[in-house]
Amino acid sequence: MRHKNLVFVLLVILLLGMAGKLFAAGQNVEMSPSNWWVWPLILFCFTFSIGVIAPLSGVGGGVLFVPLATAFFPFSVDFVRGTGLIMALSSALSSAPQLIKKGLANIKIMSPVVVVSIITSVIGGIVGLWITNAFPAGKYYITIALGVVLFLIFIVMITSKRVEFPTVEKVDSLSEKLELEGSWFEPSLDKVVDYKITKLPIGMVCFALVGFIAGMFGLGAGWANVPVLNLIMGAPIKVAVSTSMAIITVNDAAAAWIYMAKGAVLPLIVVPSVLGISIGARIGAWLAVRVKPAFIKYLVLSIMLFAALLDIYKGLHGLGIL
Amino acid sequence: MSEKKVYIDPMNIAFAKIMEIFTLVGLLVMLIFGLLYIMGMNPYLNIASVINHWGLPASKFWSQTKGIQVKGYVFLHYLNTMDCLSMLGICIMALAPLFSVLGAVLRARNKIYTILLIILMAEFIFAIIRPIIMAAGGE
Repeated sequence: MRHKNLVFVLLVILLLGMAGKLFAAGQNVEMSPSNWWVWPLILFCFTFSIGVIAPLSGVGGGVLFVPLATAFFPFSVDFVRGTGLIMALSSALSSAPQLIKKGLANIKIMSPVVVVSIITSVIGGIVGLWITNAFPAGKYYITIALGVVLFLIFIVMITSKRVEFPTVEKVDSLSEKLELEGSWFEPSLDKVVDYKITKLPIGMVCFALVGFIAGMFGLGAGWANVPVLNLIMGAPIKVAVSTSMAIITVNDAAAAWIYMAKGAVLPLIVVPSVLGISIGARIGAWLAVRVKPAFIKYLVLSIMLFAALLDIYKGLHGLGIL
Repeated sequence: MSEKKVYIDPMNIAFAKIMEIFTLVGLLVMLIFGLLYIMGMNPYLNIASVINHWGLPASKFWSQTKGIQVKGYVFLHYLNTMDCLSMLGICIMALAPLFSVLGAVLRARNKIYTILLIILMAEFIFAIIRPIIMAAGGE
C-alpha cells in the first residue's frame, strides 16, 4: 500500500510539474502562427491534473479550476467562470443519468429545490458579469469575492461531517405532501435501502443562496449541496452526492446561457479544459478505488487555501490597496 | 436481494434517458468542432487574436477582437465556422436539462410534480430567451 501511495505521489508531482513547466513556457511565448498550440496544451495538462486529483480528494473539479485559473492564468475572470461552469455542467451531465437510473439521484428531491435555485443561479450569473463589465475595477472585486468564497468552502470542507445513513424521525408537512422518499440497492449492505427527506423549506432557502454563489462564480456547488442534503434534509450520503449532481445539471445549464449570451464562453479555453478534466477524472476515479492517501484531501485543501489567498492578494493589489 | 427490485419512478427514468442522449450529442459536437477549430480550420475568432485579448473582460474582448457588442447568441449566426459549431455543442448540452424535465413532465403521475416541473421549464426558458428579449440583436 505504501508503495502504491508513493507511486501516486510521484504521479501527482509529475503532472503538476508538467503543467507548471508548460505554463512557464506559455508565459514567455509571444503569440505567432507557429506556437498557437502552447495554451491549449497547457490548459489540457492543467485540467487533466485537476481531473486526476479531484476524485481522490472529494473536491469538485470546477472548485479547483476557477480559483487556480483566476490566480495563475492570463484569462479574464469572465472566461474562467464561463469555462468553470461548462466543466461542472459536462461532468454533472455525464454522471447524473446513471445515478438516477440506480435510484441514487432523485428528481423528486431535485425539483422543489431547483425551482428556487435556478432563479438565484441566473441572477448570480447576471450580477457577476455586470460587476466585471460595468465597473473599471470590477474584475478585482470579483477576484476578492472569489477568494472569500473559497475561504468559506475551505471551512465547510474542513468542518462538515458526513452521515452515511441519517435517521429521519419527523418529516415536515411539505416534504410529506411531495412524497420525498426513495430507495436504492446498497451493495455494501446487500440490501435495498429506503430513505425519507425532511426540512424542505430550510433546504430551499439554503439552495437559493448556493445557486447565487454558483452562478456568480461559475462553481459546481457540490461542496454546499451535499452538506445541505445530507446534514439538514436527512438524505443518505450517496443520495446527497448523486442528487447534488442532478441539481448542478439544471442550475449550471441555466447559468451557462447567461455566460454564452455575454460572450464569456470561448471554445479555445473550454474545449481543452473539458477534454482534460474528462480524461483526468476517469483516471482519477480508477486510482481512487486503488489508492486513496488521506493526506491528498489536505494537500488539495491547502492548494485551495493558497489560491484563495492569492486571489484576495491579486484583487487588493489591482485596487491599489496592497 | 437484487438490484432489479429497486423501483425507479418512470419520471426519473424519462429524465435520465433524455439527458444521456443530449449530453452525448452535445459533447461530441462541442469536442469535434472545437478540436477542428483549435487546429485552425475555418475560425470565426482568430486564435492568435483570442490569445492576445483574453485578459480583457468579455465586453471589451469582443469589441477589440470583432468590433461588436455581444448581447445575445451571436455565434448562432455563424454556424459555418468551427468555433461557432463548437458553441452549438455547448448549447445542446445546456438544453439537456430542459428536454429532460419535459420528458419527466410527460411521465409524472403526481399533479404537484407536473406543476413544479412546468414552473421549472418556464424559468429555464426565461433564462434562455432573457438575453434576446432584453437586448435584441448583437451587432
